[in-house]
Amino acid sequence: MHDHPPVNLRRCLLLGMHAITPFLPGIIPFGLIAGLTPITLGYSWIDASLGSLFMFAGASQLAAYQLLGQESSIWVILVTVMAINLRYVLYSASMAPYLSAAPRATRLLASYGLTDQIYAVCQRDYPLHSWQLSERIAYYAGGTILLWILWQACTLTGALMGQIVPIYWSLDFMIPLTFLALALGTLKSGAHRVAAVVGTTVSWLALDAPMNLGLIGGGIAGIISGILVKRFHS
Amino acid sequence: MNETFFLTIISAAFVTLILKGSFIEGSKYIQLPQWFRDALEFAPPAVLCALVVPGIFKGEIGLIKEFGMVAIDPRWIAAVVAISLFLKYKRTIDTLALGMVVLHASYWGQLATQ
Repeated sequence: MHDHPPVNLRRCLLLGMHAITPFLPGIIPFGLIAGLTPITLGYSWIDASLGSLFMFAGASQLAAYQLLGQESSIWVILVTVMAINLRYVLYSASMAPYLSAAPRATRLLASYGLTDQIYAVCQRDYPLHSWQLSERIAYYAGGTILLWILWQACTLTGALMGQIVPIYWSLDFMIPLTFLALALGTLKSGAHRVAAVVGTTVSWLALDAPMNLGLIGGGIAGIISGILVKRFHS
Repeated sequence: MNETFFLTIISAAFVTLILKGSFIEGSKYIQLPQWFRDALEFAPPAVLCALVVPGIFKGEIGLIKEFGMVAIDPRWIAAVVAISLFLKYKRTIDTLALGMVVLHASYWGQLATQ
């Protein structure tokens, strides 16, 4: 591109940081919960930080901890984590045209750092600029680094707080409360509400199934009924 | 460190990375099939709701472990109040905070009147 202005990576890095800033206050409470609840379930602050370091995906971290606390099978935990994180496939597909020409290590880091927030700002801003690959990566990195540092700091703070909070405070109940609020926030159509009701009912009926398998049954039944209702109406 | 914990977190991290990297890593762009897009649309309500259920009906919270059972599980009351609050005001953090307050209020209230 001969008419491209000089590449200014520092500017793109700062632009990325600036774009992500409005999202930062919202992740603080969830970071604290993600650090705090593993402690109330009996894990150490190191264990609590490992989830944030390795997974870097809030809701699925909470699900993994809750299910570990209920002694679910590892397969049930993995399928649940996969179901919660399925949306990343969509984000990944939408980011691919902008990032997949990058070197392997960069692509891997970008994949690890993919979040709801960075997806939101990149899919909004990439089409608006005729940036080169290195500038797009600098923008992505700026936003992701800021978000990553805050998320890790909040998890660690939550974990350290968890060590002084007595068990009777029952802060682990914040996990189902969080899922409750997240779930209710997704009910944007009748089909979504049907998916939610069926998911809840099947999960409740199969509450005594071994290894928390009822969870998987509820999820699948909910998804299928949502699809059926949508097809029926269109 | 607990081995099961470590194994679970590492595998969960691996699964997450595969999903996040699915297209960024793959150089060819394939179209996502419609059934997958549909499943993706309904996974959040279905799976999140299914997840809430064991958190409310299974196991015991710290309050009950420490001070004993009461007639009505305080989690049920807290969940009902949290649902109504969220549906009315759509405020996540407030719902979390008030849910915890109701959990304690309904536990201590019941214990005092027992």
